[in-house]
Amino acid sequence: MMHGSAGKEHVPGKPVTVTINGRQCRAEEGETVLSVAIREGIPIPHLCHEESLDPYGACRLCFVEAGKHGKREMVTACTLRAAEGLEVTTDTPAVTKHRAILLELYLAEAPKSEVIKEMAARYGVTKTRFLKKMETDDPLGGKCVLCGLCVRACTEIMGAGAIGFINRGPYTEVNTPFLEPSADCYGCGACVKVCPTHAIVMEDSGSERVMKSWSSTRVPLAQCSGCGRYYAPKDLAARTVAALDPPLEQDLAGLCPACRGNQIAEREILARFGGAGHHG
Amino acid sequence: MDSYTLDAIIARYDVPDGRLLGILSEVQEQEGYIPHDVLVMLSEKLGVRLSRLYSLVTFYSFFSLQPVGEHMITVCMGTACHVKGAEMVLSALGKHLGIETGIAQDGKFAVTTEDNKFTVTIARCFGACSMAPVLSVDGNLYGYATPENLPAILAEFGWREHES
Amino acid sequence: MRVETEADLKALQAAGLKKLKPDKPRIAVGLATCGAAVGGRKVYDRLREAIARKGAEIDLVQTGCIGYCREEPLVNITLPGKPLVILHKVTEPDADAIVRAVLNGKVPEDKALCRVPAWDHVTGFVMEYGKGFDAIPLYQDVPFFAPQRKVILRNAGFIDPGDIGEYFAVGGYGAAWKALHGMEPEALIAEVEKSGLRGRGGAGFPTGLKWRITRDAPGGTEKYLVCNADEGDPGAYMNRNEMESDPHMLIEGMIIGAFAMGLRYGLIYIRSEYPLAIERLGRAIGQAREYGLLGENIMGTGLSFDIRIARGAGAFVCGESTALVASIEGRTGRPHPRPPRLTDPEGGLFGKPTDLNNVETWCNVPAIVANGSGWYAGIGAKGNTGTKVFSLVGKVDRVGLVEVPLGTPIRTIVFDAGNGGANKKKVKAVQTGGPSGGCIPLRLFDTPVDYESLNKAGSIMGSGGIVVMDEDTDMVDIARYFTGFATGESCGKCVPCREGLKHTLLLINRIQAGKASKKDLATLQEVCETIAATSLCGLGQTAPNPVLTTLAYFREEYEAKVKP
Repeated sequence: MMHGSAGKEHVPGKPVTVTINGRQCRAEEGETVLSVAIREGIPIPHLCHEESLDPYGACRLCFVEAGKHGKREMVTACTLRAAEGLEVTTDTPAVTKHRAILLELYLAEAPKSEVIKEMAARYGVTKTRFLKKMETDDPLGGKCVLCGLCVRACTEIMGAGAIGFINRGPYTEVNTPFLEPSADCYGCGACVKVCPTHAIVMEDSGSERVMKSWSSTRVPLAQCSGCGRYYAPKDLAARTVAALDPPLEQDLAGLCPACRGNQIAEREILARFGGAGHHG
Repeated sequence: MDSYTLDAIIARYDVPDGRLLGILSEVQEQEGYIPHDVLVMLSEKLGVRLSRLYSLVTFYSFFSLQPVGEHMITVCMGTACHVKGAEMVLSALGKHLGIETGIAQDGKFAVTTEDNKFTVTIARCFGACSMAPVLSVDGNLYGYATPENLPAILAEFGWREHES
Repeated sequence: MRVETEADLKALQAAGLKKLKPDKPRIAVGLATCGAAVGGRKVYDRLREAIARKGAEIDLVQTGCIGYCREEPLVNITLPGKPLVILHKVTEPDADAIVRAVLNGKVPEDKALCRVPAWDHVTGFVMEYGKGFDAIPLYQDVPFFAPQRKVILRNAGFIDPGDIGEYFAVGGYGAAWKALHGMEPEALIAEVEKSGLRGRGGAGFPTGLKWRITRDAPGGTEKYLVCNADEGDPGAYMNRNEMESDPHMLIEGMIIGAFAMGLRYGLIYIRSEYPLAIERLGRAIGQAREYGLLGENIMGTGLSFDIRIARGAGAFVCGESTALVASIEGRTGRPHPRPPRLTDPEGGLFGKPTDLNNVETWCNVPAIVANGSGWYAGIGAKGNTGTKVFSLVGKVDRVGLVEVPLGTPIRTIVFDAGNGGANKKKVKAVQTGGPSGGCIPLRLFDTPVDYESLNKAGSIMGSGGIVVMDEDTDMVDIARYFTGFATGESCGKCVPCREGLKHTLLLINRIQAGKASKKDLATLQEVCETIAATSLCGLGQTAPNPVLTTLAYFREEYEAKVKP
């Protein structure tokens, strides 16, 4: 069931006031408290949140205590919807205690991740009692926390579906089917952008983009007809250009963004200052 | 499995509920496992991404990506069977068949003997707890299994002592 | 033949009774999965052969299971005018003797467990068998049966589950008739609410309320009604027996529910490990359609409702509502956060409001409609009305299915029905609620079996599994077993469950290996509390219960294994 709000037009909701740590914050009714907090600059740790996707609930770091009229319970801020009179506290003793254990678990799961180390240190957790995961030849370099953002970006936002979750429980991993190079990968790099621990490795090598983390899937790159640089995945660029409305002029279509920008600027200048003659 | 057979299976599932798991289950039952090329064919025929099908096949215990032996032995490791000694039955089975009975790296436990006669796997519960410990061979349930009466059960399927 | 009038139903009942209580002897062999597995099928084949050989006028049928699993194979004999007699531990060689005895108007008394002069089928019909065979103990005097009250298992072990005619015979589909022709949906929902029926899958949510919420959700008839037949708790097989022994009571319950909630789509999600249940339900659905009880214009009322079956594929987590729905949709069983709930618009199956109830919950519905909410509420305890079927397994003497009113003390189930420890061993504890439940020590066996009392003891009701442990059971090993189970069944989506349980298992293994210290016990307690408090779904939230309860009640067993 696709919950994603990606691509849906946003209709503003009724304005409400929620109180976070005693501070009154304006919000839209139905907005998540996590979104409100991010906007207000109130720190609530999170890893699997993505504004354009529905709440996922994997990282369990965004717990707060909330309620109305004095009743309190622990709940994730990413699923808590703003309503008039809602009172939220972010660092209660219970939340702090459980969060610390979770961070110890994260340190053990992704021992090479600087992002995790920093986040843990921010909350006073500098070491872990749990056995660290040590994998040789880990395509994600000991940094993956299985937040699912790469899979969701690939499938729900980009519509490519090249990678997915494999197995379940503690054996879960993310990669291409059969750990073979994927025929469905666009080479867009959305996964790299969205990964909170920068675990995914993508490298451009000559005329190809190599998704090193995804079974070394190779995606051919388009070459700029101007400067000769390999600048974007070939198929993706072609499709993107073909979908433009109004369409791009033929002689601009094979250019990289820099060259295209220069061309367009030149033409603009020529058009503005007119004349058959050339400047310079 | 050829394309026509696969088409016939797909045709039997013309409603969306339970469709994907139903089709995959029939492939599993007919072939004994899910062959790589069948999964690719299925992806093309259904217009479903291969990564999604692969996620399903590796998530659910019912599916296997490896071919299985002639006979499938499933040992129940449910609670009632556990307290009645299922683990001893499993390791005795391993000894008789000459195979290791640890957990596979992908979380699915299935080991096949070298001569390809038997594949041993585990189940979480058959719901026949009154006759614990329970094991099933090719879908037939055997209750009150013990390391001692295992040889008799195995013999019904052509196993002989000292063969492994 | 479609059921269009009440006269049709009565005619079908009369015809069915001629089969259930014929003018000649009838032999019924208990052939649910376990009866078949311990030799019941061979007994059936031998009886058939003996009857044919002697050219005897004897009806031979298969039936479900009355629940006394330890005594299987079970065989019923009905002689005209005489009480029904249940034979136990029947083997192939007994077949000839049985047929000979029956031809002489007798039963082999040495194989007889008990006699049944009359049987209340609860949905408006009491079967009077007859008098005689006074030397054979009465059903209600058999210690295993004595504390029980059959409401859900009202027909199990008596009727042939493959024959809708025998379901009509005992008043089957009379409740559906009464609801569809005689009641308004609002009133029907009110009846279910007043009955106090609570979800029998384990959460104990008030069923009437769930139906009301579903009915009130926007979407008209474009909603789903789903039966959770995933029964993943190892050691629990109540639902399996309910489906294999009496598939029509589940169907009838769902029809009544569809009418109450005003929807058209029904689904039963069954785990793949239950092939016989899938087969019997499939056949029953086909029969119900033939008789116009499913499909368009049911019983001439204009209600259109049909049921399909969707199979699971081996994942315990798919018993969780959002994972179950994902599985039917062809996705991996990874739960999603709630809200939205299943009953919300956009929150259910294929984005439609969905009512999800356990098999056993549905099975109660025809009985409630037939007898009224007051009758049902009079069984059990306040806030915990009705009966529940429990599977009593493990190191107990009498293993089987025990149906008792809610509020019955654990002691009654384990010692009165179960006769205490097997092989004269001392009972130490019971595990209730499967892998989500906790271990309750002997000293707390006066705890009544109801939702709240079990929660207070640190456990849960769950789907009804009760696993007995004795003096030889290592409680740390039990904690290890359940943690191993939860680890293998975790979907892996959220960190506390996926990582937390992995490390919990490592810690317990270190304890078992004698390599742990007292500090490790403290770490174990802390990580289990966090898993319980922060996991995304019920699997993770309850997975630490076996560890937490054994740490609380059997701490000495842990401390004996750790270094100071």
